Amino acid sequence: MSRLLDIALHHPLAGLLLTLAAFQAGLAIYRLSGRHVLLQPFLLACIPVVLLIRGGYLSLEAYTDSTAWLRYLLGPATVALAVPLYRHIGAIARHAPVLALTISFGAFTATSLAWLLATLGGANPVVLLSVLPKTVTTPIAMQVAQAIGGWPHIAAGTVALTGVAGAVAGPWLMDRCGIRDPRVRGLALGITAHAVGTARAFDESPQAGAFASLGLGLTGLLVALVLPFVASSLI
Amino acid sequence: MLAGFLTLVLCQFAGEVLVTWLGWPVPGPVAGMLLLFVLLLLRGLVAGHSVPAPLEQVSGGLIQYLSLFFLPAGIGIFFLPDGFAGQWLPLALVIVPGTLLALLATALLLQAMLGKPVKKRA
Repeated sequence: MSRLLDIALHHPLAGLLLTLAAFQAGLAIYRLSGRHVLLQPFLLACIPVVLLIRGGYLSLEAYTDSTAWLRYLLGPATVALAVPLYRHIGAIARHAPVLALTISFGAFTATSLAWLLATLGGANPVVLLSVLPKTVTTPIAMQVAQAIGGWPHIAAGTVALTGVAGAVAGPWLMDRCGIRDPRVRGLALGITAHAVGTARAFDESPQAGAFASLGLGLTGLLVALVLPFVASSLI
Repeated sequence: MLAGFLTLVLCQFAGEVLVTWLGWPVPGPVAGMLLLFVLLLLRGLVAGHSVPAPLEQVSGGLIQYLSLFFLPAGIGIFFLPDGFAGQWLPLALVIVPGTLLALLATALLLQAMLGKPVKKRA
C-alpha cells in the first residue's frame, strides 16, 4: 500500500492533479459560503498544496515541474485581457479624460506607496522590485516583476493579498468617507485591488463592476508599459 | 475555439519577438495584449464593434481561471529562501496600509472630479 502511495506521489501528474482538485474544492467552498470575500478560491487552494510540500510528501521542484502546463497558459490568458477591454471601448472613449487622470494617479500613488513602505520596512532589493507592480492583475504583475529583476513568486503572493485587502477593507473605508458614487467606488477598487476588487464591485452594482473592469485593464496596461522603463532607469 | 487560441498564441508570440527585437523591458504577453487590442480596433472599423465568437469563447474561459494559472507560482511566497526571514514586515506594510491609502486617495480624487453622486446612469 505504501508502495502504491509512493508511485502515485512521484507520478509527474501528481502536482497538477493536486492543484486542479484543490482549486475545484476552493471554488466549491467559496460558492457555498455565498462568495465570502475572505474565502478566495486562490487562498483556499494554496492550503493543501503548501501543507503537502511542507510535510515533505511532494518536493517543490517536482511540484513546479508538474504544473508547468498551467504556467504556459498564463501568457495567452494575459493576451486575452484585451478582449474585455475592447468590449468597454465605448465607456473608455466617453470617460477618457477622467479615466486617464485617475488611472495615472492611482497607479502612481499605489506604486510609490509600495516603494516607500517597502523601503521603510527594510525590504531587500529583490522584495522591493517584486512588490512594485502590486497594483496590477497577477499575470501582468508576475511578468513585470520578472522583467525588472524581482521574483514572480513574491509578486504573485503580494498581488493576491493586495486584492483581498482592498476588497475587504476598501468598501468599508469608502463608506466611512461618504464615497457612494458607484463609478467612483468601482474604479477605485479596480485600480488598487484588481481582480478581487473587481469581483467585489460587481457585487455592489453592475455599474461599479463595469468601471472596476476598466480600472483593472487600463492600470495593468499602463503599469506594464511604464514601470519597466522607470525601474530600469532607477537601478 | 482553435482559431481563438491560435489568435492569442500568435499575439503573444509576436509580442515576445517584438520586445526582444526592440530590447524593450516590457513583458512580451503584455505587448501581445496591446497588439490584440489594436487588431480588434482595426477589425472594428471594417466588421463593426464585435469580438469573433472563437476568440470570445477562449478568452472568456482563460480569464475565468486566471488565478488557477498563477497558483503554482503564487505558493512560492510560502517557500522563501532563508535570507528572506525578515521580509514579512515590508510585505505586510505594502499589502495592507499601502493598498488602503492608495484606494482612498484614488477614490477621493475621482469624487472631487465627478462632483456629486449621479443617481441615474451617466
